[in-house]
Amino acid sequence: MDVIITISLLAILVLYLGLFKAAKALLPVTLVGLLVALGLTFNHWDLANNTKSIFSGMLLFNNFSVAFSALAIISTFLILMLSKDYFERISANVAEYYTIILFALTGIIIIASYHNLSMLFIGIEIMSVSLYILTGIKKRDYASNEAALKYFLMGAFSTGFLLFGITLLYGASGSFDLTEIRNYVASSEEISPIFYAGILLSIIGLCFKAGAAPFHFWTPDVYEGAPTLITAFMSTVVKTAVFAAFLRLFYISLSSVTLQEFWVPVLVVLASLSLLIGNITAVYQQHFKRMLAYSSISHVGYLLFALIALSSASDSAVFLYAAAYTIASIIAFAALMVVQKQVGNDSFDNFNGLGRKNPLLALTLTISMLSLAGIPLTAGFIGKFMMFTGALSTYHTALTVFAVLNAIVGVFYYLRVVVAMYFKDAERNELAVPVYFKIVLVVSTLATIIIGVYPGFIADLI
Amino acid sequence: MNLFYFIAFLSIFFSLLVIFSKNPVYSVLYLIVTFFTLTIHYILLNAQFLAIVNFIVYMGAIMVLFLFVLMLLNLNEDSEPMKSNLIKVAGVVAGMCLLVTLVGSFRALGDSDPLILKNPEIGLVKNLGKVLFDEFLLPFEISSILLLSAMVGAVLLAKKDPKKI
Amino acid sequence: MSLLSLLIFLPLAAGLLILVLPYAWQQRYKYVALAAVGIQVIMSAFIYLNFDGNAFSGIDAKSKYQLVEQVSWINLQLGRLGSLQIDYFLGIDGLSMPFLVLSSVVMFIAVLSSWEIKTNLKGYFALLMLLNTAIMGVFCALDFFLFYIFYELMLLPLYFLIGMWGGARREYAAIKFFLYTLFGSVFMLLVIIGLYFSVQDPITGNHTFNMLHMMNPDNYIPGSIFSALAEQQIFGIPARLLGFIVLFIAFAIKVPIVPLHTWLPDAHVEAPTPVSIILAGILLKIGGYGILRICMSIFPDAAIDSAWWLGLIGVVSIIYGALNALAQNDLKRMIAYSSVSHMGFVLLGIASITAEGISGAMLQMISHGFLSTMLFFLVGVIYNRVHSRYIHDFRGLALIMPKYTTFIMIAFFASLGLPGFSAFIAEAFSLIGAFTSESVNGLLPRWMAICGSIGILLSAAYLLWTLQRMFFGKTRLMGGEDWKSKLTDVNGREIFVLTSLTVFALLLGILPSLAFDKMNASVLELIRLVNLK
Repeated sequence: MDVIITISLLAILVLYLGLFKAAKALLPVTLVGLLVALGLTFNHWDLANNTKSIFSGMLLFNNFSVAFSALAIISTFLILMLSKDYFERISANVAEYYTIILFALTGIIIIASYHNLSMLFIGIEIMSVSLYILTGIKKRDYASNEAALKYFLMGAFSTGFLLFGITLLYGASGSFDLTEIRNYVASSEEISPIFYAGILLSIIGLCFKAGAAPFHFWTPDVYEGAPTLITAFMSTVVKTAVFAAFLRLFYISLSSVTLQEFWVPVLVVLASLSLLIGNITAVYQQHFKRMLAYSSISHVGYLLFALIALSSASDSAVFLYAAAYTIASIIAFAALMVVQKQVGNDSFDNFNGLGRKNPLLALTLTISMLSLAGIPLTAGFIGKFMMFTGALSTYHTALTVFAVLNAIVGVFYYLRVVVAMYFKDAERNELAVPVYFKIVLVVSTLATIIIGVYPGFIADLI
Repeated sequence: MNLFYFIAFLSIFFSLLVIFSKNPVYSVLYLIVTFFTLTIHYILLNAQFLAIVNFIVYMGAIMVLFLFVLMLLNLNEDSEPMKSNLIKVAGVVAGMCLLVTLVGSFRALGDSDPLILKNPEIGLVKNLGKVLFDEFLLPFEISSILLLSAMVGAVLLAKKDPKKI
Repeated sequence: MSLLSLLIFLPLAAGLLILVLPYAWQQRYKYVALAAVGIQVIMSAFIYLNFDGNAFSGIDAKSKYQLVEQVSWINLQLGRLGSLQIDYFLGIDGLSMPFLVLSSVVMFIAVLSSWEIKTNLKGYFALLMLLNTAIMGVFCALDFFLFYIFYELMLLPLYFLIGMWGGARREYAAIKFFLYTLFGSVFMLLVIIGLYFSVQDPITGNHTFNMLHMMNPDNYIPGSIFSALAEQQIFGIPARLLGFIVLFIAFAIKVPIVPLHTWLPDAHVEAPTPVSIILAGILLKIGGYGILRICMSIFPDAAIDSAWWLGLIGVVSIIYGALNALAQNDLKRMIAYSSVSHMGFVLLGIASITAEGISGAMLQMISHGFLSTMLFFLVGVIYNRVHSRYIHDFRGLALIMPKYTTFIMIAFFASLGLPGFSAFIAEAFSLIGAFTSESVNGLLPRWMAICGSIGILLSAAYLLWTLQRMFFGKTRLMGGEDWKSKLTDVNGREIFVLTSLTVFALLLGILPSLAFDKMNASVLELIRLVNLK
């Protein structure tokens, strides 16, 4: 709870700083505030892992929440480090942007620690409303406007589905509380049919937010139209948060065997569709940002594996995968921002010859691509390994084989950037990489390799 | 019971009119009527607070605002862009699927007895307030963040940029 | 830190050292690399001399391995699935020790031939050292997960080495090589996970990635997917057979066997000489080693069932590779196809599952390691001088490069199986194994051995024909006088490399017991394990 209060107060503080024209102080204050929040998060760390829910069952801040909140805060921290001089180029209202990002983070922390469906809804709304605005902050850019409107309409639509689903779950079980819903499932002899409809609608609503196929159609346009920094935020932190919510709902409330028989096939279909559509369309992209957008759909497919093979190991699997994906994506987006700013265009050709001129940038981007592709000794491999292990342990052999084939396709398009950077020569100038970017790149790359070589130290967090 | 069916018929009828009328202004007007029928539903359910809120906020404030916006933007002509038939068919199929799911699950409930509230007082302002400020205090308070962020965002998006880029 | 870890991580340390050294010293990077590899050669020689081949036969018992290291590496609690226990588990036996010696020697030669690399030396030597680490790791790893990590780790440096320092179509060759190998290995990962769920550590009761536990049928959980008794099926195919096939394909792509060999000529042609040397000298052997160490030992029942097919693939590779080599104009491409042909003998020998056959296959891999290194080095010598490798561009080279011609004659005669050289013993043993198989265990029909010997005939044909076309007759060169002045005879460094390789090939040909003594016990132990089912 103190984390939520800290971050929302921080947001208001930043808003006031903007009012008093303390533009220089905005970023440092935000970063320091996030560090404080991170410290408070770890304060909730409980070795025995038997935390009780608080506020009459509204929030449960257990190790699961600590891990995901920490991941969200750290990645927001890294992304905000990239924001130096970024918002200034868009407009003068910099403080408001930081405020809204922080509000979105508040929503994300609520999502990671909810124990009552009403909190889930409010958390998702806070996050989404902030994101609608952030998507559209480039007011003079048509792509950004279109993305914001599209995202708003689709988002409102999907929230409607989610809300309807929650209502039906409530109608059947008589409670919003996750434990109560589980008790209802366990105690009733025959589960009410509207409960099933509720599950379906919640899956649709959450898949919309996570961007799983076939509810993915908004992602490419929105990710491309939104300012790159916001895209980085959306495709990493937000996705992770939605999966934390997904996992919590299904693991606590809907994990009984009879229910699994119902929703596992649905998720299998969604996962395979996401893998297929995400990977196949990503192959045909000529632009780095759009490629990342499509490939993020395929990553949702891999993440769904943890739900399909739901067990107590799922949380650490999702956490590892999400952490690996988030860190690698941040590197990719940081590199993208550098290239976009100085070249103006992000097609693959603009990466030609980068390996010679910017060795550090090229090396870190290579490692991030390898991690996203799931090559051993990077964090992405451990994530994929955990997902496949889980799926095979529940005998989803065909699905896993399909996923492996997709992983090979993934390697192919992720390596295109690497090929462009190292194998193709081009006359180009060295890109200037600001110090903040260098820090983010190096820290994230180190994290990717450390998790890849010795995953124990973060997987045991949950 | 007959009253319920009559009102339910009216709600469906008017909501269909909302979709099918070509002129957006008529649509909004029908929407207001639809909301009005919903208000009657709330009263039938003995949810007085919701009924009043629905009446004042949705029917009164928001819909009137809608109407103003439509009139100011001068959208009363038939300017709907043509959608391709494929999208229409896909939309109909998807909508029907959802309808079948919902109707199926509601039918399977087999509960056609008139709903009798166990606690008829539940929809009263007093009881609602008790729940809201006791059990659901946290979501209630947290909503403030939602409103604040929406407000900041609305100002941000609507404000004129002094800097010309 | 024992000897094996030192052997594995010494090049990595050298690579990191190269990375931090300033650019101004880039002419010295190669000496750092050479020093690291030189120490490796000395260490592997030390290991070879102290290796007791009889008392420690290895294969399926930890106590019979030498220089064993076992440290817990990754330990994740997975709730219902138990804990994920991955060990850093190294050890060598008669099957892996010869390859350590081979790899360090070939690496040494590869570094020596890297004198030709002129661009981006820092990246080049760092990647070469990383590759070295991965190769050593593959031969030492006894934990399947660790093996997989090293196996995949080989891919990346090679990908960059081919893609950045390669020829005109390097990009295509690099991605083709990468995707082919990755295709095999990701499915291998699935089998590894399946095996992990099927096998229990007999002491702790946890699932395990330990290869030695996977070789013992008693450790399989009853009813698990790869348990021999449960006879599970996946997609209608017996699970154990499917597991064997998947692992076999993964390694067979590396060997390479005939339908999956197409990456090899492209990779060889585009790769710079040192990388070609490593590819032919070491990487192909990893395929054979993997089949022996993993496919045969973990799935012996499936191996016996599919021995006939393995033999057939071997024979097809021998003949097809040789016929293709006959038709090539590019010298490097010809040698690449001859590798396919020679590695076919390895497969044939392995498929026979006789002591002669497997010993022959092992020796063939080692001998081919030295000989193909020598051949690619020789190609590199002329390519460096005139940047052409086409056979018909040269004629009568013997007159202007007599020393070079001597060496190339040695290399050619050695690889076509002249008695006295290692390849003769190796091919003879493989064929004897294939021939006696019918009477010993009835796995391979005799005609396979006979067809295999036709391959020797064909290899004599293409090698001698090439020799005649390129080296004899009047000197006539594509580039005229310009080339003539550039085509100087081999220098001291090259003579050193070529002589030492000749010595190895001769030594193994005259005294094959140098290798056989060290690996005999392991080979017999492997055959016992396979026949045990």
